[in-house]
Amino acid sequence: MMQLPFIISATFFVIFAVPTLTLFLLGIFHKLFGVREKYKELLLFIFERGRQRIEKNTLSRRQSQMNLLDEVDLEDDDDGIITPMYNEREGPSPDFELSDTFELVTAGIQAIVQDQVTHRFEAEELQSWNLLTRTNHGYEWISVKLTLLWVAGFYIRYLILLPLRVVILILGSVTMTFLTGLVGPIPGSWKIKPLLNDWACRVSFRIFSRAFSAIITYHDEQFKPNRNGITVANHTSPIDVVILSCNSSFSLIGQSHGGFLGVMQRALARASSHIWFNRSEMKDRKAVARRLKLHAQDPTKPPILIFPEGTCINNSAVMQFKKGSFEVDSVIYPIAIKYDPRFGDAFWNSAKHGMLHYVYRMMTSWAIVCDVWYLPPMYRKPEESAVDFANRVKAEIAQKGGLIDLDWDGGLKRSPAKKEWKEKQQLELATKIISNNNSFSRKNSSSTLISGSEFSEDEHGNLVSSPTPPPIPPASPTEKRIPEQSEECEEEDEDEFIMMTSPVPLEVKKEE
Amino acid sequence: MGSRPSLLLRDEELAEIQKETGFTANQIERLYSRFTALDKTATGALSREDFLRIPELAINPLGERIVMAFFRHSDEDRVNFRQFVRVLAHFRPLKKSRANALNSREGKLKFAFKLYDLDDDDRITKEELLAVLQMMVGENISEDQLMSIAERTILEADSDGDGMIGFEEFCKVLDRSLVEQKMSIRFLN
Repeated sequence: MMQLPFIISATFFVIFAVPTLTLFLLGIFHKLFGVREKYKELLLFIFERGRQRIEKNTLSRRQSQMNLLDEVDLEDDDDGIITPMYNEREGPSPDFELSDTFELVTAGIQAIVQDQVTHRFEAEELQSWNLLTRTNHGYEWISVKLTLLWVAGFYIRYLILLPLRVVILILGSVTMTFLTGLVGPIPGSWKIKPLLNDWACRVSFRIFSRAFSAIITYHDEQFKPNRNGITVANHTSPIDVVILSCNSSFSLIGQSHGGFLGVMQRALARASSHIWFNRSEMKDRKAVARRLKLHAQDPTKPPILIFPEGTCINNSAVMQFKKGSFEVDSVIYPIAIKYDPRFGDAFWNSAKHGMLHYVYRMMTSWAIVCDVWYLPPMYRKPEESAVDFANRVKAEIAQKGGLIDLDWDGGLKRSPAKKEWKEKQQLELATKIISNNNSFSRKNSSSTLISGSEFSEDEHGNLVSSPTPPPIPPASPTEKRIPEQSEECEEEDEDEFIMMTSPVPLEVKKEE
Repeated sequence: MGSRPSLLLRDEELAEIQKETGFTANQIERLYSRFTALDKTATGALSREDFLRIPELAINPLGERIVMAFFRHSDEDRVNFRQFVRVLAHFRPLKKSRANALNSREGKLKFAFKLYDLDDDDRITKEELLAVLQMMVGENISEDQLMSIAERTILEADSDGDGMIGFEEFCKVLDRSLVEQKMSIRFLN
């Protein structure tokens, strides 16, 4: 009878402590034995089998209930679209025609059917089911075999992976507190301190990353930011910070928190210079900018990590970069992060799920697989505005990560579209009407009711003096027509600047 | 845990919608998932706010008019899926084999006409045209100037001399316009 507790604890040790300790040591020595790669391949193999199964099933279902209309479906393609035999009216167009609304209307309907922005804040759609149910729907009852597979996966994820990962998470936080506690008291004048801090941070973040089974591939490490400056990356989730910090240490910037998160923040701050603001300080945009600048120009400090999108995007696109971090005269190290959504959706839909729910989802996913690309450092050109520079950096990141480059503001996740964007379109339409009117009146001066000169004397004379716009329909559904961030929006920028700063990395701790 | 509702359309309903709109079953399923994504309150019907939450529509100068088109045949202030698809069906590309009343040239023109015809009396008055013009250009052109544009447009189209544009006059003015192309979008299958 005395042996029972012993057996239980021994079993516990074998199941949890051994793998945990192994992972812990792996974290310290950063060795890969290819286990995770094998795990990834195995998962992909299973998903592919599942996909084939689903395809077979839907195909047979379709065949059984095929009717006349479905038959037409299969032949549906672009052939046979009727094209009219006549051409549009030639010659000068009058200032306004009844058909001028068509483009706007069609663009509006197009936006209702599919727009560029709203689905960036929803989970990405997947090609194949990853046995997690959360990203695809209606797959549970495809076949008995698949259902059994899902059930098996469920037990593995919730009964084995989850407890293991919670243990790792606790271990990670203990390690972080301990190591930074050791590095902290070393005098700042010693050259070894930043090196030790770098090591301590990487070890603790690597342990954290294992709490999500992160499988990260770093590309172009020769461009890894290694001295002071500002690092900018696209933002998908709070774990972006963990992903990036596994490979090199950064200074983090964000709001200081209480509770356990505060303990972690203080632990980090002990060993290195992170910028934690309290609520009232964050409101002071100038003070934030000043500290950012001081930090970025100090060669003894690690680069600051900033997510200029200001909010989490679902990793299919990059949205507008807030200009704040590009105003500081500093080198910019761009980083592109692309997650593989097949193993688990890393996107944090903060409008829908709380932090706890998000962490729970992460820790019950198969794995977090991602690629990180370091891009060559970029500098602001003379005469280049902060907004232009931000857009240039954004385009580079989008291109490298295979993401769509959007000019839309990530703030649309929560707030409605700004009125100025509509006004800008109205201005374009007005300019078009006026220029049409001018050219029309020159050719058939008798038939116009408005003379061109009337416009130029108008109080809106600036319209006429501006060059004639290209004849692009203003409502064509491209992102071109969205105005740039204007310098006048200083007030709103205050909030944007706050949002720009990264969510602190250790929010995962709310798990407990 | 599923974050997306599954397709809850019954087979006979699906067949009816197919017949009425000419969309394929796959297209309808796609539109249904879009519909539920727009339906933030999960009531099975869309409100004006649900539509105008789409940024690209909200900044469209005619955005509110376009949204109004969805509510024209609805007594309530919400649009269900059937009504939603019916409006969108006007914008299916016109094909020889599969034209129907909605996406024919006339169907498309009727839709465009109704966008101007705010009071639904089958005539576009000077005031109604002015209202559309004002939505399009905002504050950038003065009302007097827009009024003269509206008057001229009506004068050109008004063949029976009643000072308004009826549907037939509307079609006649636009008989050389590429309505089929301009009022069509691609629906993914």
